[in-house]
Amino acid sequence: MLPFLIKRLLQAILVLIGVSFLTFIVAHLTGDPVELMARENATEEDKQQLREYLGLDRPLAEQYLSFIGNALQGDLGYSFVQRAKVTELIAERVPATLELAAAGFLLSLVIAIPLGIIIALKRNTFWDLVVTALAMIGQAAPGFWIGLMLIVLFAVELKLLPVSGYGGGAYLVLPAITLALQSAARLTRLVRASMLEVLDADYIRTARSKGLRERTVLFVHAFRSSMIPVVTMAGLELAELVSGAFITETIFAWPGVGRLAVNAVYQRDFPLIQGVVLLAAVFFVVINFLIDVLYVVIDPRVKLK
Amino acid sequence: MKLSRNWAGRLLAATVLLAAPALSPSWAQDAKPIVIASSEDVISLDPHMLDSNNPTGSVIWSVFDSLVRRDLDGSPQPRLATSWERVDDVTWRFKLREGVKFTNGEPFNAEAVKINFARMDTAPFNSVQQLHDQTGLKEVRVVDDYTIELVTAAPTVNMLYWLEEAFIAAPKYITETSPDEVAKAPIGSGPYKFVDWRRGDALVLTRNDDYWGEKPAVKDVVFRNIPEVSSRLNELRAGTVDLVIGITPDSADQANSDVSDLVKIEGLRKMHMGISIKGEQPALADARVRQALNHAVDVPTIISSLLGGSTSSLLSVVNPPNNNPALTPFAYDPEKAKALLAEAGYADGFPLTLQWSTRFDGGKEVSEVVGSFLEQVGIKPTYEAVELGQFREGLSKASLKGIYFQGWAALINPSVELVILTCGHVDNSSGYCNPKYDELVLKASQTLDDAERQTLEFQAQEIIWNDAPWLYLWRLPSFFGLSKQLSYEFRADNYLEPYLITYK
Repeated sequence: MLPFLIKRLLQAILVLIGVSFLTFIVAHLTGDPVELMARENATEEDKQQLREYLGLDRPLAEQYLSFIGNALQGDLGYSFVQRAKVTELIAERVPATLELAAAGFLLSLVIAIPLGIIIALKRNTFWDLVVTALAMIGQAAPGFWIGLMLIVLFAVELKLLPVSGYGGGAYLVLPAITLALQSAARLTRLVRASMLEVLDADYIRTARSKGLRERTVLFVHAFRSSMIPVVTMAGLELAELVSGAFITETIFAWPGVGRLAVNAVYQRDFPLIQGVVLLAAVFFVVINFLIDVLYVVIDPRVKLK
Repeated sequence: MKLSRNWAGRLLAATVLLAAPALSPSWAQDAKPIVIASSEDVISLDPHMLDSNNPTGSVIWSVFDSLVRRDLDGSPQPRLATSWERVDDVTWRFKLREGVKFTNGEPFNAEAVKINFARMDTAPFNSVQQLHDQTGLKEVRVVDDYTIELVTAAPTVNMLYWLEEAFIAAPKYITETSPDEVAKAPIGSGPYKFVDWRRGDALVLTRNDDYWGEKPAVKDVVFRNIPEVSSRLNELRAGTVDLVIGITPDSADQANSDVSDLVKIEGLRKMHMGISIKGEQPALADARVRQALNHAVDVPTIISSLLGGSTSSLLSVVNPPNNNPALTPFAYDPEKAKALLAEAGYADGFPLTLQWSTRFDGGKEVSEVVGSFLEQVGIKPTYEAVELGQFREGLSKASLKGIYFQGWAALINPSVELVILTCGHVDNSSGYCNPKYDELVLKASQTLDDAERQTLEFQAQEIIWNDAPWLYLWRLPSFFGLSKQLSYEFRADNYLEPYLITYK
C-alpha cells in the first residue's frame, strides 16, 4: 500500500504542475486582459500603467515562476478584476459548491442505483422499457431546461420553493434535483448494463446452483462486482460537480465555483483562472485516488501496487 | 468544522423539504427588504474604482455622496456641494455642506475632498477615475473648512459632469486602510450604510439614519446577482424580487404580471454600425460611400420588427436635448444609395465584413439584417462574431475590418459626446479625422458662454452627421421590471438610486 501511495503522490504533483503550466499558457494566449479591464476610453499610457501595476509587463517565464513560487506558499495572487485575494474568492465559493455537489450526487445515487438494479432484474419488461426511456430523455434534456421547468412549476406557480439564490435548505432543493436528474439518468443506464453483464457471468450461475438464496446472490455476489464501473463513473460525475456546475449555478443564481470560473475566463482574469483550474485539478486527483481505494474495498481481487 | 455541519444541516433540511413540501418555508420573511436583481455582480466597493453603472455604481451612489448629483435630465444638483461659481476661466469655487458626518463619525470638510481627489489621481485608481483626465484638474485649493477651489489647466465646461462621478469617502479611513479592505467595507456619508456582501449572491444595505438629506422611504435594500434573465423575471413574477434590471427585448413582456409591471426607457446609448475608415475596405474612406450605407438601411423598419418599436432612430451623435434640431435621420432610399456608390466609383458594390461582439445583445441579428439591406444595393457582406477582448482591442486601435455593431456613450454631455470623434481620440474606433471638426469641438469645450458654445456644437454636429463615420441606428432601449407596490422613476443611464424609491 505504501509504494502505491508514494507513486500516486508523485503522479499528483506532476499532474498539478502540468495543469498549472497549461492553464498559464492557454490563458495568456487569449490576449491582453488590460484591453478588457481598462475603461472604454483609457489611453495607451493608462493601459501601460495598469499592466505594470498588475505585473503583466514582466517576461512570461518570470510571471509563471513567481506564480508557482507563491502558489507553493498558499498564495494564488490577486484577482485582476475583483482586486481581492484569489484564495479568498475561491474559499467563499467552495461551501456552496460542495453543498450543491453533495446534495446532487447523493440524490442521484439514491435514484440511480435502486432503479438500475430493479430494471436489470425486470429486464425486457414494460417497466424496463419505461425507465430506460425516461433515462434517455433525462440524458437528452438540457439541464437549463429542466431547471427552468422546475422553477416555473415549484417556485412561480405553486410557490413552494424559492426561485433562486443561496440561503437555507429550501434554496438547495431545486438546483440539487436539476443536477441529480441528469446525473441519475446517466448512472441508471450504467447500473442496469453493468448488473446485466454480471448476472450472466459464470460465477453467478455457480452461486445459484450451490443453492444460495437469490438475495445473497444478488446483493453479495452480483451487486458488489457490478459496482466497479459505476464507482468509476460516479467518481467522475462527483469530480465534475465539485469543480462547479456552471449552467445550474447560473439559472439558480447559486454562488458556486462554476460561475466564478467561467466569469474569470470571460474577463481574462488570469490569477483567478489559474486558481479555479488548480482547485478542480486537486479535486480530480483526490477523487481518482479515492476511487482506486474503493476498488479494493469492493472487489478483493484488485490489488494496489 | 463549520463547513461540514453547515452542509449536513442543509442536506437534512433539503431532505425534509423534499418529503414534505407543505412545511412552512423559512425563506418567507415578514420584514421584507426591497430586492433588486441585476445580471452582473458588484465588482468593487471602492468608490474610486467605480467603472460600471449597475449594480456597482448603484451601490456606490447609495453609500457615498459626490459634490454634485446628476439629475435624470443630466442637469447638476447640489449634493455635498451646496453652491458653486466660476471665479475665473480656470477656477471653480464650491461651498460645501456643513454638519455632514461619515458613518464612522469622521467629519466632512474641504480637507476630505482634497484627500479623496488626490487618491483618485494615483494608481490603480487613475486607470478608472476620469476626473483629472477629463477636466484637466491640476490643483485643489482649501480656502476654508467649507470652501474649496478647483483649478484646471485650461477652461473646461465639463467640471460638474465629472464631479458627479467623483465620490467622497471617509478620508482618514481610506488613508489608513488597505485598498482591498476599503473595497470590501466602504464608509461614506450617503443615504445608505453597507451591511454585508456575499460575492455572486447578494449585497445588503440599510438606511443611514444620520443622513443629512431626506430619509429614504425604504429601510433595507438587497442587491442580488441573478445572471439568467428568465430567473430574474421568474423571481419578479413570484414576488420575491421587487425590481429587475437588464431585461432583453424578446423577454420584456414577461415583466408584466399580476404583481409587477414592465417599464420601458429610451436609453442614452447610441447604437450604430461603426464604419472602419482605416480597415480592410478602402471604399469606406469616401464620405459618399458612408452616406450610401446610411441611405441603404431602413432603420425604422428594423426598430419596429426587431426591437418591437421600443426606441427611435438616432437624431445626431449628441443625445437630446442637446442635439442640433436641424438634423434628421438619413432617409431609406436604395436608389440614392446606389447613385452615391456609383458616383464614388463603386457602382458594382464591394465586399464588406460585418462584425459584432457579446457586449450588446442582438449583435448577430442586427448585423444580419443590416447586411441584407446592404446586399440590395450591391454590397457583398460577410459576417463575423468577435470575442469581446479582441473586439475591444480592435476598437481602441481603430482596426476592425469593415462595419461593426457598437454603442457609445450613455451620457448627456455634448462636449464629451463630440470629443470622442476627434482625430486619434482613443474612442474614435472608426478612425475618422477632420481637422475642421476638431477645431470646432475644442473651441466649444473651452467656450464658457452657453449660447456661443451651443452654436459651435451645432456646427460640429452637422459636419460629423453628414460625414457619417457611423451607420446610424438607434438609442439602446432599457427595460426594467418593477413591483406594483413601488414607485420609482428610472434613469436612462441605468444608475439606480434606491433612496428615491417609494411605496405606493
